[in-house]
Amino acid sequence: MTSGPYNYSYIFKYIIIGDMGVGKSCLLHQFTDKKFMADCPHTIGVEFGTRIIEVAGQKIKLQIWDTAGQERFRAVTRSYYRGAAGALMVYDITRRSTYNHLSSWLTDTRNLTNPSTVIFLIGNKSDLDGQRDVTYEEAKQFADENGLMFVEASAKTGQNVEEAFLETAKKIYQSIQDGRLDLNAAESGVQHKPASPGRPLAAPPAARDNCAC
Amino acid sequence: MWFGPNLQRSYKYMMFASKMPSLRIDQSDLKCKNGCDYFGNPQWQGYCSKCHREQMQRQRKAEKASSATLPKPETKKPDRGLKITSHSSFSKFEEKRHRQSETLKKANLLKFSVFKKSSTDDYEHTSEKRPPEFKIPAQVNEGMKRDFRVRFPQLSQSRSSKEPSLAVDRDCRAFVNSFIMDVIKCTNVMTVDELSERVQRQYQRFMKHMDTSPHFTNVDADTKELLMDFVEKHAMTYLHELPSIVFSPNGTEDERLDRAMSERIQQLSWVGERHLECRLDMNNAECRQLLYKAISELLGMDSALSPGDKLSRVRRCCRHVLRLCSSTAPASADDLLPALIFTVLKANPPRLVSNINFVTRFCNAQRLMTGEGGYYFTNLCCAVSFIENLTAESLNMEKKEFDCYMAMPASIGGSAWAAALSLCGAAREADEQRALAHKLRAHTTAIHERADLLAANAKSFEEQIAKKVEDVLAKTPLEIKPRRELPRIGKFKEISTAPLIDLSTSHAHGEPQQSPEPKPEPQPEPAASQEPNITIQASENEPKLNILGFEVIERQSPSKSPQNLDQTWDLKQTSSLELLTPSPLGFTPFDSRSIDELMTPDDFGTDQLPPGLSNINYDIDLSDFSGDNSIAEDAPKSDPKDPFSPEALKKVTFDPFAPQTSRGYEGLDSFDEFSFIDQRKQETDPFEVVHRGQDPFSPVDIAKDPFFSPQKQPQQQSTSILDDNDSPTSGCLLPSPMQPQSSGKPT
Repeated sequence: MTSGPYNYSYIFKYIIIGDMGVGKSCLLHQFTDKKFMADCPHTIGVEFGTRIIEVAGQKIKLQIWDTAGQERFRAVTRSYYRGAAGALMVYDITRRSTYNHLSSWLTDTRNLTNPSTVIFLIGNKSDLDGQRDVTYEEAKQFADENGLMFVEASAKTGQNVEEAFLETAKKIYQSIQDGRLDLNAAESGVQHKPASPGRPLAAPPAARDNCAC
Repeated sequence: MWFGPNLQRSYKYMMFASKMPSLRIDQSDLKCKNGCDYFGNPQWQGYCSKCHREQMQRQRKAEKASSATLPKPETKKPDRGLKITSHSSFSKFEEKRHRQSETLKKANLLKFSVFKKSSTDDYEHTSEKRPPEFKIPAQVNEGMKRDFRVRFPQLSQSRSSKEPSLAVDRDCRAFVNSFIMDVIKCTNVMTVDELSERVQRQYQRFMKHMDTSPHFTNVDADTKELLMDFVEKHAMTYLHELPSIVFSPNGTEDERLDRAMSERIQQLSWVGERHLECRLDMNNAECRQLLYKAISELLGMDSALSPGDKLSRVRRCCRHVLRLCSSTAPASADDLLPALIFTVLKANPPRLVSNINFVTRFCNAQRLMTGEGGYYFTNLCCAVSFIENLTAESLNMEKKEFDCYMAMPASIGGSAWAAALSLCGAAREADEQRALAHKLRAHTTAIHERADLLAANAKSFEEQIAKKVEDVLAKTPLEIKPRRELPRIGKFKEISTAPLIDLSTSHAHGEPQQSPEPKPEPQPEPAASQEPNITIQASENEPKLNILGFEVIERQSPSKSPQNLDQTWDLKQTSSLELLTPSPLGFTPFDSRSIDELMTPDDFGTDQLPPGLSNINYDIDLSDFSGDNSIAEDAPKSDPKDPFSPEALKKVTFDPFAPQTSRGYEGLDSFDEFSFIDQRKQETDPFEVVHRGQDPFSPVDIAKDPFFSPQKQPQQQSTSILDDNDSPTSGCLLPSPMQPQSSGKPT
C-alpha cells in the first residue's frame, strides 16, 4: 500500500472527559503534539486534535475531542459524546473530588454513547506521587468493577499516555473485528475509509467493508 | 437533540403544512403567474387578484373534497395550486398537517414561486416522475460548471484528454440535480428529520457512487471529499435559497425559536465574563479585537449559505475565541466553552437556532462527527444549549439576584443585535484604520531609521573628513617644522642616507640649535628678528636648499652666476657637483647633492649666504603652499606680516633668476607662516583663526601672487608649483627628488 502518512483506513473518535483541571487538555496535547502544554503556548494546527497511529497494520486516525469539565456545563456537553468510539475518563490522583465524580461521568458516558464504546480510566498526574490522594489499588478496583481499562499516567512526563490511547484503539479495533461494533451505525464513532483510489479494496480481514449505505 | 426537549419536539413531532413566506422574489415574478399581463402580488402567490381568487376557490374545493375535517385556517395554505405535489403525497401531507395543525404558521406565499422562472434544463431525471415544470434553473448548472473548473482544475484540465474526468463533472452535476429534485419532492411528504435522514442517505449514495463508479477511479480520496463538499455546497446553496425547504423549514419552530433565542440573549446581556468565570482580559485591546473578530464571524454564519460555509465560519469564530482564551495561559476546552458562550451572548447572532439546525440536519454527517469544524460546531451547540437553559445556578449566583437581572427590561440599551452589528462594523473599521495606521507608522519608522542612518553616515563621514583633515594638518605642521628646519632636516636626512658621519654630526650640532629657533618665533616680529638667524642657518644650509630644490640650485648656478652673491654660491655648488657627479649637465642624483649639501655645511660662515638663504627658503615654502591649501592660506598673512620676507622676495624677484627668487620668496613666506601657525595655534590667536577660515581663497591668491607678481618666468613658477603639488605634505624627501628632475629637464 503506497499510503502516505495521511492515508488511513479508519477514523476513531475519542472524547476526553473528567473534572475541570484534571489535565484533559494536557493529555491530549501530550499525545498529539508529544509535549506538555504548560511549556508551550497552545496553537491550533491544521489537523485539529488528531494523530494517526497504527494498530495491527492498519493506519488509524484518532480524532480526539476535548470537553469542558465544569459541573455547570455537564447538562449541555452531551453533544460531545455523540459518536464517540472511545472515551478517556480522567481524574487527578492528587484530588479526591475528581475521583469521586467518576461515577457520574461514567453514568453520562454509558447513557450517551453506544454500548460498544470503549471507556478507559486514566489517573493523571502520576508524577506527583507525593501528593497522591487516591491510591492505585482503589482506582484499579473501581475500574475492574465497572469493566474499565485503567492506567495511571502523567501528561507532564508522558508516562503511559501513549499506552492509554493505543490500548483504547486496539480494543476498538478488536471490537470491530469481532463484529461487536457496527461500522454502519451512524454513531459508532468509527469511519472506515476505503483503501487508496483506483485499486481494488484490500479489505481488512474481519472488518466489514466500507459503509454499505 | 441539540436543544433539549423543546427543540426535539419542534422538529421531531412536527410536520409542516404551511410554507414560510418568501422574501426572495425576482423581478420576473412580479407579473401574474398565469401570464395574464397583470402584475402579480406576493400575497396572492404571485397571481393577480383575479387569478388568485380563482386559484383559491379551486384549492378550497380540492381540500374539501380530500378532507372535510380540515381546519379553517389551513385551507388558506397556498400550496394547493402547485403542481409539485402529486396527489398521493398530497393526501399524506394533509394527514400530517392534521396532526400538527395547532402549530401551523400563517403563510400566504406560494412556496415554489421560484421554480416558475426555471427556463431550460438539460438534466434528465429518470427516476423521478415529476411534471416537467419543476426544473432547476440553468444558471445553477452553469454556476456549478464554473465553480467546478475553478475548484478542480486538475479534473477540468484533463477533461479534453480523458473521458472519465469529464464524467466526474457531469456526475456531480447530475447528482446535485437529482439531489435537489429529491429534496424538493420530499419536503412536502416528510418531516424535517426524515428529510435530513434522506439527505444524509443521498450523501452516502454519492460517496458510494464515487467509490464504485469507473468515472472516479482516478480521483484520490482527498479529492473525493472535496467533491463531496462541492456537491453538498451547491445543492444546499440552492436549497437554502428556496424558502422554508431546508432552512427553518415549515413545520418546525425554528423561526419562533430564533426569536426566542434572540430575546433570551438580549435579556442576558448583563451576563459578563465574571459570571461565566472565563479568563478574558477585556482591558487588553488585542483581546477586544479578537472578540470582535469572533463576533463578526459568528454573525457571518447567517449569510453563509451552505452548511460547509457556515461550519467554516464557526470554525474561524472559535479559533478567535481560542486565541482569546490562550492570551493568558494555554487554552483547553474548559476555557473555550465559557468564552464561546460569552461570545454568543455578546454577538446575539441572527437566526441562530435555524442556522444550527440547518447545519445539524443537512451537513454531511461525517463532517460533523469529526474534524475541527465539527468539534467547534459541537461547542457552539453546547453554548447555545447552555444559554437556553441558563439558570441562577449555572451562573453560580443567588436566585434573587438572577431574577432581578432577568426582570430588567430586555430593551434596555436598545437592541443588542443592532448594537452588536454596529459594534462589529465599527470594530472592522477600526481594524482597518488601525492596520493603516500601523502601516504608516512602520513607514515613518523606516524613514526615521534611514534618516538616522544617513545622519550617522554623514556624521561619520564628517568625522572621517575632520580626522583626515586633522591628520593632514598634523602631518603638515610636522613636516613644516622640519621644513622650516628643512635645510637642517635635509641635512639630517641626507646624513641618515649618506654615510658621512662627520658631516652629519656637525650638522646635527648645528640643527638642534636651529630647531629651537623656529619655535620661539611665534610672532612675526620675533620671526623677523630670527630671520637673520635663519638666514644665517640658511647660509650654512645652502646645500640643503639645494637638496630640497635641486632644480633651483642647479638653475641658479647658471642663472645666478651673473649675480653677485649667488654666483659665488653657484660656483661652489657647481664645483662640488662636478666633483661628485660625472654628469656635466648638473643633473645630479639625490645622493650626490646630499653630498654637496654635506659639503656646503663645511662652508659655513660665508657672507654670500644670506641672500642665497632667502632664495632657498622660498623654494621650499612654495612646495608646501601648493601642497596644502590651508597652509598656503597662512602664507599671505605671513607675507604681509613678515616685512622681511616680502622684501627679500622682491629683491629676489628683481633678480634675473626670477623662478628661483619667486620660489624662494614663497618658501620664505611659507616657512614663516608655518612657524607662525604652529606658534599661533599654541597661542590660539583669534585673528589667525579667522585667517584660516578665509584660507580657501587666500591660498589661491597666494598661488596667483607668486605667478603674477613675479611675472618673470611662468614656466619655472609652474614647475615649482607642480613640484609643490607632488611634494605636498607627506614626504619631504619624495618631492625633492621630483623637483630636481623637472628642473633638470627644463634646464
